[in-house]
Amino acid sequence: MKKILIIFGVLSLLIFIRPALGLNSVQTNTESTTIVQADEETGERFIDEAIGGIKQFYQYTGFANATSGHLLMIFIGIVFIYLGIKFDYEPLLLIPIGAGVIIGNIPFVAGNQTGIYETGSVLNYLYFGVVKGIYPPLIFLGIGAMTDFSSLIANPKLMLLGAAAQIGVFATFLGALYLGFALPEAGAIGIIGGADGPTAIFLSSKLANGVNIMADGTVVKNLIGPIAIAAYSYMALVPVIQPPLMRLLISKEDRKIRMKAPRAVSQKEKMLFPIIALILTTFISPSALPLLGMLFFGNLLKESGRTERLADTARTKLIDIVTILLGVTVGASTQADIFITKDSMLIFGLGAISFVIATMGGLLFAKFMNLFLKGEDRINPLIGAAGVSAVPDSARVVHAEALKSDPHNYLLMHAMAPNVSGVIGSAIAAGIILSFLG
Amino acid sequence: MTPQILEIDQLSEGYIILITGLIIVFGSLIILSLFFKYGVPILLYVYKIITKGRDRKIKDITVAADEKFTGEIAAAIATAIHLYLHEKHDTENAILTIKQARKLYSPWSSKIYGTQNRL
Repeated sequence: MKKILIIFGVLSLLIFIRPALGLNSVQTNTESTTIVQADEETGERFIDEAIGGIKQFYQYTGFANATSGHLLMIFIGIVFIYLGIKFDYEPLLLIPIGAGVIIGNIPFVAGNQTGIYETGSVLNYLYFGVVKGIYPPLIFLGIGAMTDFSSLIANPKLMLLGAAAQIGVFATFLGALYLGFALPEAGAIGIIGGADGPTAIFLSSKLANGVNIMADGTVVKNLIGPIAIAAYSYMALVPVIQPPLMRLLISKEDRKIRMKAPRAVSQKEKMLFPIIALILTTFISPSALPLLGMLFFGNLLKESGRTERLADTARTKLIDIVTILLGVTVGASTQADIFITKDSMLIFGLGAISFVIATMGGLLFAKFMNLFLKGEDRINPLIGAAGVSAVPDSARVVHAEALKSDPHNYLLMHAMAPNVSGVIGSAIAAGIILSFLG
Repeated sequence: MTPQILEIDQLSEGYIILITGLIIVFGSLIILSLFFKYGVPILLYVYKIITKGRDRKIKDITVAADEKFTGEIAAAIATAIHLYLHEKHDTENAILTIKQARKLYSPWSSKIYGTQNRL
């Protein structure tokens, strides 16, 4: 105990002495040119310089540079972490993003290559993957290697539900235009309705990256941060947003519809799916090639049966690494002076509306499909809500909601079909918007 | 004046993108689902024909190659498999070591029973 106290005492003494000495030497270096003749009162000068050094040090601390915006954003970051831990809302995303928000909003003096927006800083290099759209395709590779498309192959008509939910994308796009955003910006905002974080980042990095120049000569705004944060936070809030809409739009009887078990899908079909889907979808929408190509490539790795090692890496280590980097840098990109603007607030509003429209589109289209289906083929309209991507959270929400009205109605497998087709649909939608506006 | 015109232009372009985009998304997913409903079964059927040829009747299949393979051999193999799978001996440890024997107390050489000690 005594030894520890002594060591602690010596260490603290060293720590207190070092800055004084270090700053003293720096001070003499800088001021030697200006005040050379004032060396008669050395004793007083030393104390003055020490105090000056401390003052200078204070100018560099976060306490001196903090603004209310920084504090607000740090608070938001803590809320994200709290939501992730306490309520288990997509903790794999919210916790890195929340930590990133705190990291990005530590106040600092500009010009020392600290911040994420300063060229040459380490964070800026990591952010490169977001700005240039490198991370999203890698995440899609992992998603492809994780996803089992068999429920979709067994029941291909459920693919339409994934398309129906993309109404949210285009409706939000129009809403953003009405609010006065320029065309490329509106396109990037619209994709929030696709409920697909990587796609949203990919599209906004291509359209609203603050670099592109529009037809009338103005530079587009950099909206990657707000769009990504909006997309990811609403994805995490799917368990809050969707259930009320389901109860509102789907009657009690419809919620109890049981669907027949999907047929068994042969391995050959599973192998054919990624190849055929890759060729078909990218021929239609080539701009979505980085996303869809990687998605189906990942799925082929999984289903081929010969590349289990690669598939395993893609769905575990690789996607984990990219998620960590993506989460932290997207979080850090919310630097208060750039993030807290009227545009961001509008984007958050539009994002909420787009999720609502996308969910409603899916649910109503499922009801519409039921008009043409009879008997056992009828689908439970709840699975329409899984058409917004948000894999696999929205499918889980559908499953939980169906269990509430009928404790023996297991919809998870059925809901996965519109869920994964929602991923394909939103990637195609992103490709279309990109080809129109890019 | 110009911003207003620009805005109207933007909105009309927005509507065009809205309509065409929705049509394309729906169209591509419909094509995909139709292909998987009808195209893939055909593909699989074609593949089956290519790889296996037409299904033959059992009497058409020649058994010339299997003349030496009598029922006895089959029975021997079956027995061997059966014995291997079901009637295996316990696997015993081949390493022989002398176990440490439990020492029971035995007074045959105990010092306290010597002639010098009187109880």
